[in-house]
Amino acid sequence: MTNSKKNRIKDKLFEYFGIACTFFGLVMLAIFIGNILIDGLTRIDLDFLQNLPSRKPEKSGILTAWTGSLWILCFTTLIAFPLGVAAGIYLEEYGKKSSLSSLLEVNISNLAGVPSIIYGLLGLEIFVRVFSLGNSILAGAFTLALLILPIIIVATREAIRAVPPSIRAASYGLGASKWQTVWHQVLPASMGGIFTGVILAISRAVGETAPLIVVGALAYVPFTPSSPMDEFTVMPIQIFNWVSRPLHGFTINAAAAIIILLLITFIMNGIAVYLRNKWQKKISW
Amino acid sequence: MTNELNYILESKNVNVYYGELHALKDINLKIQKNSVTALIGPSGCGKSTFLRVFNRMNDYIDSFKIEGDVFMEGQNIYDKKVRVDELRKNIGMVFQKPNPFPKSIYENVAYGLKIQGIKDKEFLMDRVENSLKQAALWDEVKDDLKKSALALSGGQQQRICIARALAVEPNVLLMDEPTSALDPISTAKVEELINELKEKYTIVIVTHNMQQASRVSDNTAFFYMGDLIEHAKTEDIFRNPKKERTQNYITGRFG
Amino acid sequence: MTLLEQELKDLRQELLNMFLAVNNQLTKSEKSFLEFDKDLASEIANSEKRINSLELKIDRDCENILALYSPVAVDLRFVLSVYKINHELERIADIADGIADYVNDLDSGFPKNAVKDVRIKEMFIQCKSMFENVIEAFEKEDTSIARRVFKQDELLNQINLNGSKNIIKNYSEKNAKSLFFLLSCVRKLERAGDLIKNISEELIFSIESKVVKHKKKK
Repeated sequence: MTNSKKNRIKDKLFEYFGIACTFFGLVMLAIFIGNILIDGLTRIDLDFLQNLPSRKPEKSGILTAWTGSLWILCFTTLIAFPLGVAAGIYLEEYGKKSSLSSLLEVNISNLAGVPSIIYGLLGLEIFVRVFSLGNSILAGAFTLALLILPIIIVATREAIRAVPPSIRAASYGLGASKWQTVWHQVLPASMGGIFTGVILAISRAVGETAPLIVVGALAYVPFTPSSPMDEFTVMPIQIFNWVSRPLHGFTINAAAAIIILLLITFIMNGIAVYLRNKWQKKISW
Repeated sequence: MTNELNYILESKNVNVYYGELHALKDINLKIQKNSVTALIGPSGCGKSTFLRVFNRMNDYIDSFKIEGDVFMEGQNIYDKKVRVDELRKNIGMVFQKPNPFPKSIYENVAYGLKIQGIKDKEFLMDRVENSLKQAALWDEVKDDLKKSALALSGGQQQRICIARALAVEPNVLLMDEPTSALDPISTAKVEELINELKEKYTIVIVTHNMQQASRVSDNTAFFYMGDLIEHAKTEDIFRNPKKERTQNYITGRFG
Repeated sequence: MTLLEQELKDLRQELLNMFLAVNNQLTKSEKSFLEFDKDLASEIANSEKRINSLELKIDRDCENILALYSPVAVDLRFVLSVYKINHELERIADIADGIADYVNDLDSGFPKNAVKDVRIKEMFIQCKSMFENVIEAFEKEDTSIARRVFKQDELLNQINLNGSKNIIKNYSEKNAKSLFFLLSCVRKLERAGDLIKNISEELIFSIESKVVKHKKKK
């Protein structure tokens, strides 16, 4: 057999292997989603979204869970977005290259890798106890904000770094100050990237369970929250709670809630992709 | 050059360092008002650094250090009292690659005025129109000022950048290889423009294209390894340079 | 070596060839005149064609270099001076050819006494010496050698001034044609001296960037 023939066979073999690898993940996901859909799809209706949790599975709904998730989402975003973007701007545009700044950078990267349960414990100590926010939405939101802050900072920095230096030079050259340059040129040009990062970070926050359990989100809340200081539950906790019940009806409820949660995540990812494409089209250097 | 001529910019014993690197060595050079001065020399000779000395664009580089004095109309621009943003209103700059903001044509040209806090719509429109006319671009874009500047051709983009610099009514225009990214026809247009602009502005241009230097400039300064080797009338530099190094460079016998 | 340098080197070699070819013509014309050698005169007429084509080639090369390489400073001056020297050389070759034509046109030789009186032999020698000087100046790029010809040219002018007087002194009906030809030769050689002087001026311009034309020379 000639060498080139051997090479061609190796080439083909690897191609098939690669296809197998690619499909492994996809097939598993498809089986999982299929299973869930079969179990849960019939359970989803308007009542399911509007009912409070109950002891009887067929009367139970996810109203408190999704409203709680929504509250948490809004407050997490409100807290994490300005903090993360401002920190990103500082590090990228203002921070001088010093040992302090490199220390900061290493720590931010490290923070992104800290297990979420640790954030939960941190939140419990600081927000629940020291700031005495109790088991409230605000405490949960602060904790989750802390969790996604590193992601937002990194995304912001990446987006800002993608703005060509020539744009800054042009702005400075016309007599603009640093702040004017950031506000009028750098931020508008990097907004697409920043939004994408923020949305991805938030969709991660939506799925978080562990830190919220530690902070004290309850499995059973018989009312919808009406202020940030109220107690709350969120979708993943509701799902977790149902799955651990013995009654078969609750398993079906869990499947239905998973479908809703996945839907939310997919929609948010979709928005992120859409925003990225839209801004990229608008700005091509 | 005689003493009666009016000088607008002057560098006196200017030394520039980037950390250990001695980028400019004892540069003494006067720039005549309403003339075009070309800075030529091989890459890394310090000509771009020298250009940026005049609007203090080097200040953003952490390791940058300057000694000596730079005067604009008698005022030392490195004096502590001088505000950099004020200085840059007087000394505009055009860069190597066309770098319009990702905004409309109008917003691009009006930017320099808007950041000064000018809000008067009529005044802004007037200035935008004037600047675009001076940059020989008005007729091409007057009907779609709202269009993104990035949709224009490279040559038009560069003229937008020139109009943008002119809008704040500077006295001096610094150009850092303004045509190196343009095709020959756009280059010719920009060169023509430079020739017209010198009536009202003093222009300092860095160029790698020696024929461009010989075409557009009145005076030429040749830099080599951080030294100013020769500064004279352009026709003298290109007909009969006094220094052998200049001759070697302009005739292409280098190294 | 840059591309332009190679082109300039080739151009220099071509012009040197032209110099040598014209020098040859000049030497031959002297010999054919003094020895009344008609064969040599025909040879000159033949070589003239070669010189004309060499002139055209150098012209074209100069044009190409200007169009394609845009030389400046010393290079530009060199090409400009080659362009002009080329024409002067061609005209000197024409002069040699013209003298050969007279030799061919006459049945018997030039009257000996008249030839002696008009000092044409001295003129030939002076012309050749001047021409050799500009060749040397061109080869060595030495303007001090080039400057020698300005002084040398004065002798030619002086001989030329007395030319008509000496012809008239020897005039006879029988010799009229050959005497007219002789006077023309004197005039031509004087003209050749001027052309050589022009070449020298071009060399000085090319090397020193000094314009010495229409100025009092030292």
